[in-house]
This record gives sequence, structure tokens and C-alpha cells, in this order.
Amino acid sequence: MALARRGGIGRYYDVNGWLFVAPALGLIALFMIYPIAWSLWMSFQSGRGMMMKFAGFANIVRLWNDPVFIKALTNTMTYFVVQVPIMILLALILASLLNNPRLVGRGLFRTAIFLPCVTSLVAYSVLFKGMFAIDGIVNSTLAAVGIISSPIPWLTHPFWAKTLVIIAITWRWTGYNMIFYLAALQNIDRSIYEVARIDGVPAWARFTHITIPLLKPVILFTTVISTIGTLQLFDEVYNLTEGKGGPSNATLTLSLYIYNLTFRFMPSFGYAATVSYVIVILVALLACIQFYAARERDR
Amino acid sequence: MDNLARAYLPRIAGLALAGASFLAVTAAEAKEITIWCWDPNFNVAIMKEAGARYTKTHPDVTFNVVDFAKTDVEQKLQTGLASGTADALPDIVLIEDYGAQKYLQSFPGAFAPLSGTVDYSGFAPYKAEVMTVDGQVYGMPFDSGVTGLYYRKDYLEQAGFKPEDMQNLTWDRFIEIGKQVEAKTGKKMMGLDPNDAGIVRIMMQSAGQWYFDKEGKPNITGNAALKAALETVGKIMQADIYKPANGWTDWVGTFTSGDVATVVTGVWITGTVKAQPDQAGKWGVAPIPALAVDGATHASNLGGSSWYVLESSAEKAEAIDFLNEIYGKDIDFYQKILQERGAVGTLLAARGGAAYEAADPFFGGEKVWQTFSDWLSKVPSVNYGVFTNEADTAVTAQLPAITQGTPVDEVLKAIDSEISGQIQ
Repeated sequence: MALARRGGIGRYYDVNGWLFVAPALGLIALFMIYPIAWSLWMSFQSGRGMMMKFAGFANIVRLWNDPVFIKALTNTMTYFVVQVPIMILLALILASLLNNPRLVGRGLFRTAIFLPCVTSLVAYSVLFKGMFAIDGIVNSTLAAVGIISSPIPWLTHPFWAKTLVIIAITWRWTGYNMIFYLAALQNIDRSIYEVARIDGVPAWARFTHITIPLLKPVILFTTVISTIGTLQLFDEVYNLTEGKGGPSNATLTLSLYIYNLTFRFMPSFGYAATVSYVIVILVALLACIQFYAARERDR
Repeated sequence: MDNLARAYLPRIAGLALAGASFLAVTAAEAKEITIWCWDPNFNVAIMKEAGARYTKTHPDVTFNVVDFAKTDVEQKLQTGLASGTADALPDIVLIEDYGAQKYLQSFPGAFAPLSGTVDYSGFAPYKAEVMTVDGQVYGMPFDSGVTGLYYRKDYLEQAGFKPEDMQNLTWDRFIEIGKQVEAKTGKKMMGLDPNDAGIVRIMMQSAGQWYFDKEGKPNITGNAALKAALETVGKIMQADIYKPANGWTDWVGTFTSGDVATVVTGVWITGTVKAQPDQAGKWGVAPIPALAVDGATHASNLGGSSWYVLESSAEKAEAIDFLNEIYGKDIDFYQKILQERGAVGTLLAARGGAAYEAADPFFGGEKVWQTFSDWLSKVPSVNYGVFTNEADTAVTAQLPAITQGTPVDEVLKAIDSEISGQIQ
């Protein structure tokens, strides 16, 4: 029976099925697979501009000896390690606060916190740049309140510049993650909380022992998404530092370095492709680790 | 309504037909030259003036001058050249001298050689040098970035300094004056963007050195001029006589707002300085301070750019003829752009004109153009090489280390290792 099907009608379905998906597959191959394969090939070439020639593993050797790449990698990892946990935690706390049905005006708060996500990356970066200038509104406010005596060099000091980038991306993306948590919180059965409350479980323990475990798949998802986003960080840094990643490369990210290698410096497309594969490998590795850490443990 | 439409319809149709035939005719004859450049008050306006002059004698050629930000021009050009399709590229593009070799060497065949057409002996020699690859000269020399020290006479007078005191300074004396200016007027001496190594380049070239030697090899650890320049920037930062700026606009704001007493930069800033009518008569111009090293001068260069014709351009012949006719020969044109836009061209013959002799009331009646033109002939010639952007990034990355008191020799070593990793 099975054999007969395979030979006759099954074959008919197979052919037609493939014909239907063929245009889509063709486009994917042309615009996704071909460029990816080509960039892999490019990462083994080196040269100035269009004068490229095969160089084997020369670009990978160059990575090791390139202090700017090491700096960009360190910065990117710093952003990732510092910013992602802060943002995820903040989004979780905000989501559970805003999920409280007794909170007045929670629609307003939800909108206000989500709004940064719909602003243009470039527009808000430019605004932040103005607000955090030496004589900008942030410094003058802090000085007026009496927290600081001399203005903070937000954009010209390596430490503060990094801090500013972290503040900026946290402001921009916290609301985005919060929406995922809010949606997931709606799916948690109210009766679980009710039982916990009857049993006298305090609010904090309800959060850590009920909310977080039940949100685990969503937390995993947002963490992976945020990891990818942070490793590809470009727009904010580019606009805050006029494309330079300064001061002293303190805010330079891998993506910005790729951009500089391609468009600002002597174009070395091969080396830029190699650096972009570093991001690919990092994202894959980190995602694996995160999936492993969040795996279902059999008890 | 219906009647009205019926009455007008034939006329409208007639007009449309006439329009279509007119379009067809012009499309067959007219040539439009597309040009990319970046400063609406400077090279864009100048190019429009040049185009208008050429159209007067060649009515069949029109111009489309496109105005981008400078980084966007460079990025778009680099992307277009890399993609290998000529459709997205203009006919003529403006390229800053620092980047010229980079484009010419990494995209061979992309730009039209002008060696046989343009008489380069009529231009400042350093200009032709930056656009030569393998004996072929590309591009039409445009403006110079000869540097000067612009200073606020009023602030310096309050601090007790006359214009004579500003002539032929050393950088140490400049810092000394800066401290007194701040003590007496509360104004900082200069604006400084810690992410812009422009000031280091000015100082270094004034002593005849560059990041690279004549062969294009890195010249960092043994570069006395670079060392002195970095030490000087360190001293300026330690003396705290500068107002920090983040980015170009911010830096321009330091002097347009009247917050600083001096500006050390290229002559092309004149238009921006003069854009503040309320500051008329308050500015003076002096030669830039000199470093304390062998071969130090009071003349240097910052920026400056040239026009390049794309080899793939459909209007290549017209574009070359246009550049040669206006930028290569029209002395009157150079007088006009000097007076209106403050553009110091590099065509030597243009310097004898009346505009260079004129006194400028904005600068209290000084003959600033003559002065700049004199300095231009004294600018030490250096080889910009192909990696100036990379070297600049390495230098700015190390500037904070200098302020924190790291020995300059160590900083130079760090810069050297960063550059070596970059240039391959």
C-alpha cells in the first residue's frame, strides 16, 4: 500500500508541492544562501578594495593581532553582560507591576513604556546626544538637583560613554521585552496565585517561584533575541559618536567595526566578512548556552 | 463643469503633446552632469556657480549638483564602486585629499585619468601629488586647507594681548596666553573634539611629517613631529584651556557661540566664521603656533579636496571639458568664489587677482586672503598615503592616555601597533 502510494499519487503530490515552493526557495537561495556563501568565500580573501586575492586563513590570523578588533569584541561583550540582564530584569519587574489589575492608568503606563520601541533608532540617538551633551538637559538637571557639582562628560569620557550607550539601549528596548512578558503573564492561570496567597506565600516568593518559572520559555526567547540585538549593536553607537565608536574606541562595537572596515577605512571586504562571521559564531554559541541553561530538567 | 473640460481638453492635449515632443528633443541633445559634494555653503554653492558659467557657453550641458553629508558621499561612493555597477554613481565626485589615494588604489580604473588634458604645472605641486598613481594623474585640484589661527581680538585685548602678540607663537606660548585669557575673561582658549585628530595632523604637517613616510610606511615611533604634537595636545588638555566638543557641529558651536577665543583650522572655515554678523570686526587671523622641533613652520594644511571624473560616466568627455574650462583656466571664477565663499583655490595663476588683494572688513580690514595665499606656498609637502583614516582612529584612541599622563613614547608604541594591525 505504502509503496503504491509513493509511486503514484504520492509522487504527483511531491512534484506539485515542490513546484509550489520552488519560487520561494529560489528567492531564498538567491538573496539569502548565495550572499551567505559568498561572504564565507570572501572571508578567505584579502586585499585593498576590489584587488582581492585568496589569502587562506590570513584574516583569522589578523583577528588575533588586531587590537581594535579585541577592543570591539570586549566592548560588545561588556554591553551584553551588563545590559541584557539589567534590561530583562527591569522588563520582568515592570511587566508584573503593570499586570496588576488594580493599578490605575495601567494602559497609559504600558503605552508610555512601550513607546520608545516605535521611535526611530536614529532619531532617539540624536536626541540622546543632545540631552547628554556637556551643557545638555541631563547635566543641568543633575546639577540643579545637586547630585553632581561638575558636568559629567557623557560623550567624551570612555566610561561614561559606555554607560550612556547602555542607558540608551535599555531605554529603547525594555518596553519591547516587557510586552512579551505582559502577554505571557495573561496566560498564567490566576488560580495558581490564589492558591499561593491562601497558603501564605509572600509576594516576592510568588514572583520568583511562580511567575519566573512559568515565564521561562518567554524569558529564554527574549534573552536570545536581546543577545542577538546587542551583539549586532550599531545604530545607537554610530549616531552617538559620529560613526567613530569613540572616545578611544570605548564604545566601538563589532558591527561598527565591520562598517568602518568596509566604508570608512581602506575597504577590506574580506576582513570585514571575517569579523561578521565572528558575530555569527558568538550568537550561535551564546544561544546554545542559553538553551542549555534553560533546558527542562527531568526529575 | 463638463463643458469647461470639453472646451479645454484639446488645448491640454495639445500642450501635453508639445511637452512630450520638447522632452524628446532635449533628451536627445542635452547632457546632464551629476555631481556629488557636501557643503551647501561651500563646495556645493561653488559647483553651482561653476556649472552656471559653463552652461552660459555650452547651453546643451546642464548640471545636477547633489548635496550630501561628507560621510554619506564617501560611503555611497565606496558602495557604488564596490558593487561594480556604474548606474548609481555620479559623473563628478568631490574627494578629500586624505582619501584620494585610497579610492584611486583600491578601485583601479574607476576614475578617469586627466594627465593629458589638464596642465598640472599650473597648480600647487602638492595637489597633483596626492592624485597621482603609477605616473597617471587623476582629478581636478580644487581647494586648499591652508591653516590659520583665527582669534577673537576683543577677548585677547581684555586679557591684555595685542594682535602683535599673536604673531609667530609657539604652542607653549599659546597655552600660556590661553591660561591668562581664561583667568581674565572666563573664556576657554579653543574648542577641542577628543575624537578628531585634526589638530594633531595640523601640528604634525607644520613640521613636515605625517603618519607615513614618503614610501607609505608607518612613521610613528620615530616621528618627532607627531611626538611633539601629542605632547602639545596633552599640555592643552592638562592646562584645561579647551572646551570639549563632541562632533563637528558641536565643535563649530564652540566659536560661533562666542565661547572660545581662538580657532586653529583650515581656511575653508572662514565662511562659517563670517556667518555670524554680530561678530564682525572682532576676529583677527595669525599664523598657527609652531612646534618646538626641527623643521617646524607656522604653515600647515587641513583637509582640502579635489574633483574626480568617473571613468564609467556617460558624460565623461563633457565633464572633463567642464572641469578643465572652469577650474583649470577661469581666473575670474576663482576671484568670485574667494570673495563669496572664502575658497582658496590651488590654481597658482588665480593668486594675482584683485580679490586676493582686497581687505576684509569682517577681519577689521586685514588682507586675509593675501596672508593665507602666502602661507599656502610655505605648507610643507607630505605623503598622505592611503591609511590616514586608520592612523587617525589609532591616534584619537590614545588621546585620553596622554591626558592621564602616560609617557608619550609608550603611546606612540600603542599607536604603532594599532596601525600595523590595520594596514594590510
